[in-house]
Amino acid sequence: MSAIAAPVPLGEKRIRFTEEDRPLIAFGLFTALGLTVLLPLALMFLWSVADGWSPPNIVPAAYTGERWAAVLSNSDILNAGLTSLFVSVVVTLATAVIALPTAWAMARIPFRAKRLVEIFILAPMIIPGLVVAVGIGRLFLSLGLAYSISGVILVQIVGTLPLMIRLMTATLEGIPQELIHAARSLGAGTFGVLIHIILPLCVPGLLAGGLLSFVASFEEFDKTFIVGAPAVQTLPVRLYMYLDPYSMQLPMASVVAFLLLVPALIIFVIAGRVLRDDLMAAGMGKM
Amino acid sequence: MLDIQNITKDYGPSRALHPVSVSVDKGEFITILGPSGCGKSTLLRILMGISRPSSGEIHLAGKRIDPLPPEARDIAMVFQSYALFPHMSVEKNLGFGLRMKRVDKAEQKRRIAHALEICNLTALSARMPRQLSGGQQQRVALARAIVMQPSLMLFDEPLSNLDAKLRDSLRAELVDLHRKVGATSLYVTHDQAEAMAMSDRILVMNGGRVVESGSPVDLYRRPKHAFTAGFLGLTNLVPVRAHGLQAALPWDGDPVLLTEERNGIARMALRPEAIRLEKAHHSPAEVTSTTFLGSNVLHLVKVAGMELKVTRSGTEPILEPGARVAIAIDGLQHLLVESDSVEAA
Amino acid sequence: MTALFNDRRLQLLLLLAPGVGYLLFFFGTPLFQALRESLVTDQGDFTLMWYQRAFSRPSMVRGLTTSLYYGLAPVFVSLALSVPLSVLIRQSFIGRKLFNGLYKLPLAVPSLIAALAVIILAEQGGFLDRVLAHVGLSLPKIVRDDAGLGVIFTSAWKQVPFMTLIITSAFAAIPEDLRLAARAFGASRLQTFLRVEVPLAMPGISAAVLLTFIGSMGSYAIPDLVGPPSARPLSVLMVEGFKNGKFHEVYAMGMILSAFAIAVLIAYYTLTHRIGPQAVTGDER
Repeated sequence: MSAIAAPVPLGEKRIRFTEEDRPLIAFGLFTALGLTVLLPLALMFLWSVADGWSPPNIVPAAYTGERWAAVLSNSDILNAGLTSLFVSVVVTLATAVIALPTAWAMARIPFRAKRLVEIFILAPMIIPGLVVAVGIGRLFLSLGLAYSISGVILVQIVGTLPLMIRLMTATLEGIPQELIHAARSLGAGTFGVLIHIILPLCVPGLLAGGLLSFVASFEEFDKTFIVGAPAVQTLPVRLYMYLDPYSMQLPMASVVAFLLLVPALIIFVIAGRVLRDDLMAAGMGKM
Repeated sequence: MLDIQNITKDYGPSRALHPVSVSVDKGEFITILGPSGCGKSTLLRILMGISRPSSGEIHLAGKRIDPLPPEARDIAMVFQSYALFPHMSVEKNLGFGLRMKRVDKAEQKRRIAHALEICNLTALSARMPRQLSGGQQQRVALARAIVMQPSLMLFDEPLSNLDAKLRDSLRAELVDLHRKVGATSLYVTHDQAEAMAMSDRILVMNGGRVVESGSPVDLYRRPKHAFTAGFLGLTNLVPVRAHGLQAALPWDGDPVLLTEERNGIARMALRPEAIRLEKAHHSPAEVTSTTFLGSNVLHLVKVAGMELKVTRSGTEPILEPGARVAIAIDGLQHLLVESDSVEAA
Repeated sequence: MTALFNDRRLQLLLLLAPGVGYLLFFFGTPLFQALRESLVTDQGDFTLMWYQRAFSRPSMVRGLTTSLYYGLAPVFVSLALSVPLSVLIRQSFIGRKLFNGLYKLPLAVPSLIAALAVIILAEQGGFLDRVLAHVGLSLPKIVRDDAGLGVIFTSAWKQVPFMTLIITSAFAAIPEDLRLAARAFGASRLQTFLRVEVPLAMPGISAAVLLTFIGSMGSYAIPDLVGPPSARPLSVLMVEGFKNGKFHEVYAMGMILSAFAIAVLIAYYTLTHRIGPQAVTGDER
């Protein structure tokens, strides 16, 4: 896209920037950002409130709230939104519950085949999601889980689980053994250690993993589409339908896009405050 | 060789470095000694070229260098963290600077081989830095500076990441190497023992100023400032009344003999090992604490409202707390020059 | 019972069971099934026919090369933008903090919306075209064009922040002393960058390349929405085949896609293994 247009000087020009040059860098970077990121989002918003926007016009001729009103009273879209929300919440909780014991074993118990198990756990990040989806799709057809919400939830967890285990393993590895010994020597039992020491120290990792899992699930399309559509409609599936090249509806697509984007952006901002950059990169990139 | 003239550094309204002037002769080993925050790191950064002085000039080998970027200065540096390039073998690390300066290939080989040899690294030349112990890494960092044959070698607390034993042996090695290589060296540290053991001359800094400079022996035996006396080893600051070549102590006893004539009230830095104690039952001075340190014994002695630190050889009989003692002072003593605005800082 | 529970091996198995078990059942099994199905005929006899077809039938070969193209081209575009960008955002400039927050926005934008944005902006009759029309120019076809520029732009748009983030932290992990050492030993800024910083950031950079390559190669939504109908990658062909019940073919294509991803992963490990994990953090202490 217009990311190409970013006027970024290349490495060869790495002359010493003087104080006078800095506003220039700032100007260049912000212009590029505006054109590539903010402009498309703004145009999307304009489409969602435009009342007719035919070619020669650079801005819409008139504005209307009709699309938003139509979408917000359209039970299909509202249902899709609720489905999305339900699926994401269940996926997030289930992922955390499934991940914790395994992460504990990976972090604190030495065993021989650990490296192998680790590779297996991370494998879903490497194998394209679509391949998993077509494999599972067939399996679910025979299990009767195809085109059902439970099927969608089950397939999405395959995508969120590896990241959660990874994050939790790293978090649990960071708890010093001395702390647990200290708690033991002060009279805490296994359960006491778990409640008073381990869980509180896990909160940042759980929060990070939870937020990332939620966004990943909320925005997931490929696997949901294969396993659930058309019976199960989440917001992304709905958006995809509006974007069909043969019956494209830009105004409706824009409205649904915003419904999808706003929760993600809010979580993104929260996550940006709680997460370190590298965790964020790993998570958002589904690394 | 190196001439630092009135260098200052301001960060906004606060002055990190008050005018500093130092000149270092060719082949001299000079140490900048001071506590953290004394301005020694600021001075080092300015010499390296990472930071610009607010005023003043630096000349090296007859060339003004303060406006030059780091790579254009004929200076090699040994870092506290060693800063070895982890993706290059020992040999490549040594050759990095030579490649950058486009030294002739054959000459590169010769110099690297020589530096490896004198630093005892020849057998390790193909290793990667992560395969070396801390002491070995430190020697590579040193060899990397030596191959450059720079006009000036800078050392930034190079031994502080090593354990005590290794530090002692590397310190001796460093002194030995300096004798062999003869490079003009500027060594920055907060460790007074290191400074005294290695330097031709020590520059004591505090609060962004140079307190005083001199040979290790002069600074230890005849410090001009209380700060120097206190920073270089243990000392007792004792107020005295000077009269000609003698000074009266605040307790009863023979006056102390002075190195030079002075009159009036002054302070004296009495080293713990210059004080002699004898058992004396009716003396007002009393031993209040005794700490056995092996080769010597540290006593605290209460007298005239002060607590004197006194060390005695470990071979002498140990004085128990509560013992009454008579105090005598060995040798000629030196009075402090009291103009210490530096101490307030 | 307690004795059984105290058995370390059993404990380990119980702890590993939820995560590993889940993945074995919902990831391992379908993948294994897919592999098996790709190797048998409808009658269940062993065959390599499906793979032969994938490598000989023109539409499939086209799909194969298109998948690789959609995997590689955006990576190059993103890399060319991300490296300079991560160098720039290390400098101090006005509004740096704000920029640091804003440039990551596309990370939270799903591919579908990225595709929508590209359609709105760059399609013929879209915003850019209308702006250009006012000055008497017209925009060439860059959405659903034969060269797949729309796909490349959309993928790159999603990748640039991700890559920049990883590369920036790779650069930031290089100890400042190493940079200074390079300068002190006579390297200019550019030489320091090329000979010290880039080699040391290489594990981070190649990880970013690997992940973005795998991501865009296996993506379905982007090429389906903004790609040309003339050249469709394996992912699009797979979805179509799946809908038509051509499972053997679909699974053969899936295995080929996975093989590409694994090959790139192995290349990554052999490449970064030589430098070693400590390379990034500098010396061991």
